[in-house]
Amino acid sequence: MISAEYLLNDVDVARFLVNGYHVVEPDLPAGLNERIADRLDALTANPGDAITETVPELWQVLEHPQVRGVLISLLGEDYSVNSHRHWHCKLPGSGFMQWHQDSTNDRGTQIDRLLGLYYPHTITADMGPTVIVPGTQFRNAPTDRMATYTNIRGQVPLAVAAGTVAFTHYDLWHGTASNSSSVKRHMIKFLFNRTSENSVPTWNHDPDALNRPRDWNARDKAEDAGNILSFGNPLGVSQSDHYKERTIRRACWDELIGQKSAS
Amino acid sequence: MDTDNQTRQRLLYLHARTPSVFSEILGYTLIEPVKGFQVEISGGEFAWPYQTVHDALVEGWQIVQFPHLQSPFSDTDLDVVGYEFILQKLEAIS
Repeated sequence: MISAEYLLNDVDVARFLVNGYHVVEPDLPAGLNERIADRLDALTANPGDAITETVPELWQVLEHPQVRGVLISLLGEDYSVNSHRHWHCKLPGSGFMQWHQDSTNDRGTQIDRLLGLYYPHTITADMGPTVIVPGTQFRNAPTDRMATYTNIRGQVPLAVAAGTVAFTHYDLWHGTASNSSSVKRHMIKFLFNRTSENSVPTWNHDPDALNRPRDWNARDKAEDAGNILSFGNPLGVSQSDHYKERTIRRACWDELIGQKSAS
Repeated sequence: MDTDNQTRQRLLYLHARTPSVFSEILGYTLIEPVKGFQVEISGGEFAWPYQTVHDALVEGWQIVQFPHLQSPFSDTDLDVVGYEFILQKLEAIS
């Protein structure tokens, strides 16, 4: 069990379903980020999945309650840490990485896996930050077809403070900017899996969360879960796409609260 | 081969919210016909040179490919972002 203070609330979950990501800055022990960054700086070969054996301090990040609280909220109490993880070291002078979704195209409405991107040192715009495009997580788009996109409306460079963990929907479009700085940019990518379907919500849920009236004045500035799910449009897509997004988000929400959609 | 002042094709991929040239641009890629040129995802704020495809037309860009509107259509699934216009300018690049 974990203290409820670390779990997400309805607004957090709704925003995750709309934007496809959630960022936390866990209150890690003093010096931990620096120790991890120093060890990564000293590596001469990429250990692949064994990065957690090479740098075992990474488990302190994964086991931090602020990290576990997000994972329990979105994947359930019995989530698993996938054995695949990877150290992404972006060297000075290395170029950008094209937009992509990981894996092949099989988009569903269950939140069944998340990426967790941990940055042990502060990332600035010139260090080749990961760049994500909020709202793209439900798009069934082969990576090849993203090759003619470069800058996309609403893209968010993860220029973040040391110790930040960015959780992203597995299918969120992401890439990197180039590293024009003189330092290596470190990021450890983790993968987390759902192991069972929800029968009840696993976050701090209010059963009336979606019962607020539609607020046509607030629209995309809404502060309650129902209106966020209805009006959120981070990409600024057309009405046709927005209506489809709404339906998919609601199906995700229903599955997360343990009530599968009738459709 | 002397390529100075040779007319070359500048390319601009614009992904618009709808097939209308007046709708807002959601994606922007400029490709200059210069050896070694690379596109670049911005690591900071990206300054959008145009807000619509029409803005680019006003600046002299010409559309060489309009979005394909007869591709398979789903009323439930989402695919790529926006509608792709490909534009060109033929200019002497020195």
